[in-house]
Amino acid sequence: MDFDLSESQNMLLDTAKKFLEKEAKGLARQVEKTDAGYSPELWQKIAELGWIGLVFPEQYGGIEGTFQDLVLLVEEMGKAVFPGPFTTTAISGLSILDHGNSSQKDAFIPALTDGGLIISPALIKPDPLMNESIVHDQASMKNGKYLLSGTRLFVPFGHVAGRFIYEADTDKGKTLFLIDAGNPGIRCLPLDSIAGDKPCEVVLEGVEVSEEDIIGTPGKAEEIIKQINTWGALLESAYICGMLEQVLKMTVEYANEREQFGDKIGALQCIQHQCADMATDTDQVKFLTYEAAWKLSKGLPADKEVSMAKSWASDASRRVCLLGVKIHGGTGVMEEHDMQIYFRKAKAEELAFGDGDFHREIVAAQLGL
Amino acid sequence: MDFSFSAEEEKFKQEVQELFISEEELSKAAKKEWNTGLGFGPNCWKILQKIGERGWLCPTWPKEYGGLGLSYMYRYIVVEQMHHFVDIYTTVGAGMAGPIILSHGTDEQKNKYLPPIARGEVEFVLGYTEPQAGSDLAALSIKAEDKGDYYLINGSKLFNTRAHYSQYHWLGARTAVIKPKYKGISLFIVDLKNTPGITISPIWSVGGTRTNEIFYDNVKIPKDSLVGEANRGFYYILEALDYERISTVAGLERDFKELVEYVKEKRKAGDPIIRQKLGGLAAEIESARLFALKVAWMLDNGRVPNYEAAMLKMKVAETEQNLVNTAMQIFGPYGQVQKGCRWAQFDGQFERFYRDSLENLITRGTSEIMRNIIAQRGLGMPRR
Repeated sequence: MDFDLSESQNMLLDTAKKFLEKEAKGLARQVEKTDAGYSPELWQKIAELGWIGLVFPEQYGGIEGTFQDLVLLVEEMGKAVFPGPFTTTAISGLSILDHGNSSQKDAFIPALTDGGLIISPALIKPDPLMNESIVHDQASMKNGKYLLSGTRLFVPFGHVAGRFIYEADTDKGKTLFLIDAGNPGIRCLPLDSIAGDKPCEVVLEGVEVSEEDIIGTPGKAEEIIKQINTWGALLESAYICGMLEQVLKMTVEYANEREQFGDKIGALQCIQHQCADMATDTDQVKFLTYEAAWKLSKGLPADKEVSMAKSWASDASRRVCLLGVKIHGGTGVMEEHDMQIYFRKAKAEELAFGDGDFHREIVAAQLGL
Repeated sequence: MDFSFSAEEEKFKQEVQELFISEEELSKAAKKEWNTGLGFGPNCWKILQKIGERGWLCPTWPKEYGGLGLSYMYRYIVVEQMHHFVDIYTTVGAGMAGPIILSHGTDEQKNKYLPPIARGEVEFVLGYTEPQAGSDLAALSIKAEDKGDYYLINGSKLFNTRAHYSQYHWLGARTAVIKPKYKGISLFIVDLKNTPGITISPIWSVGGTRTNEIFYDNVKIPKDSLVGEANRGFYYILEALDYERISTVAGLERDFKELVEYVKEKRKAGDPIIRQKLGGLAAEIESARLFALKVAWMLDNGRVPNYEAAMLKMKVAETEQNLVNTAMQIFGPYGQVQKGCRWAQFDGQFERFYRDSLENLITRGTSEIMRNIIAQRGLGMPRR
């Protein structure tokens, strides 16, 4: 049993803290106003630091860290609400690493790890009951190539992605493709959203892809997608963990400074109890996330643990950020204060790769219910 | 970071489990006795002694006092198995009184009390709470006057739960009237069976558990009843509260598993609300289990779990509430009928637990006090 980090993990986090302290101040707020929604310049810097390649083999430009290392790094990014397609690219890269053929790995992973290529999973299909889709799913063959049409929603950083991971129902069954985002048949529209992180509507119309673009075995997309979603859910839990730690820190600092009725509001029992609840919720997210990461790092099955972590993280993010806003009083609802940034970002993280209800259902299934 | 036991720890866990499995009848009988709320019955004492004779009740103590000189993780393992099989997961002697005697007692006291505690032969009842001293423990006022060759005790205690079957009273009494109040408290060991002037009177909780009022009427206790230094008692009490933070969620895990099996058996597993509640409970229980492991690990690594222990205690009590509420919701109107009724589910186990679990929100530090500790010691928020 060991609740301490290793020396290399401590070093990784030291570097991360210093870098984010220096480079990420005010960044989230700033990039919301840009088209990109992140800083391509900093993206290059973190590539140089080896962060994007953290869990990839050396031969692909990675540094062969563990899933646990990755989770710790993402947690640190969460504290700073560091914007960018980090989780997105990591899980896309991992799916190619695990299921791509060697020419795909050679072609795409080094480009990913050196910061030159962003890959985004475009896997969320519109719910037919919610709105009429613009373009419905179609997959046909023509001259040995696949012709794909369809609509995908909430694609993270779709507008800056070089490739999409896209699932289509072909003659062989559900098949995963790695599609060139530059293909003329693709339209990508960043959507205005609460978190300002520009989730995209991606529409394919008659997009030509070849067999070489298939990841894994044709007809076996579901297993890969499940894995992508599991990794995504875990990394989101880690990001949320970091966010909540920062919200707690900001909130306690504020409560220990703000005076009303002749004393710091932090001396009031109600405020203390709310902070204690925030701390407890945050620690729950943290340990569930760490345990899931540890299991994955050991190559052990962790579907239940990942879903326990994400379900708790999703709902805790709402609870903790809400208390953060409340304790900050008037400043908590002001645009110019950072508290509202965490509050809004939390909604996107809560929803990404499955919200609380979605993951609780997975846990129930894992319990045999 | 590692969330597994070492190979030796796993081996030890197997050994402990094997004892309870081989003593299945006795474990079940002890659990049944304990869950009557009446205290340690004969089977409880028997199983405690089987655990104690192996040195497992106080495994962290030195061998000369009946321990095995093992780490806190071994204590965690024993506590977890005891909790699962018997519901009794420790004794007050092993968990609260013993550690203070070990750190601050005289050699005579260590030799007299520690081995029988470790063997599971004696129990102590905590004598802290009074009618006017609950969360504000320092306000206790039962008087212990130094009369030269004895102490004279006068006053009363409330909610001293194990008094009716314990051999010893672990008595916190006032030896000095002073400000701040906590500086005038001393700790004493009182032989309950052989000391005249003590009246023990039952009080019944809503859960059907017996607790007691204790009246001391001009009770004389020998000078060597004092533990450690006079007027240092409160510090020892706080110190002990830091040790007795090993707790586990094994009882919760077991009850949760039984509830899940029940839902499957009664073909309610398709109900989406039930699935959501049980999925959520699973995560809540697991996070509390990780808190418990962290506390044990901290104790083994020289860290003081001052807020972690409070967080654990609070979470366990509140998760219990979630479990009993969920169970009652699943049972619907059947949840209200009691043991012995043909319509009762689980023979009324959850009905009783629904009542009895209230105590956990309050005893050993209320959830509100726990939140104060988390905020003040954990987050550095101001103390009044």
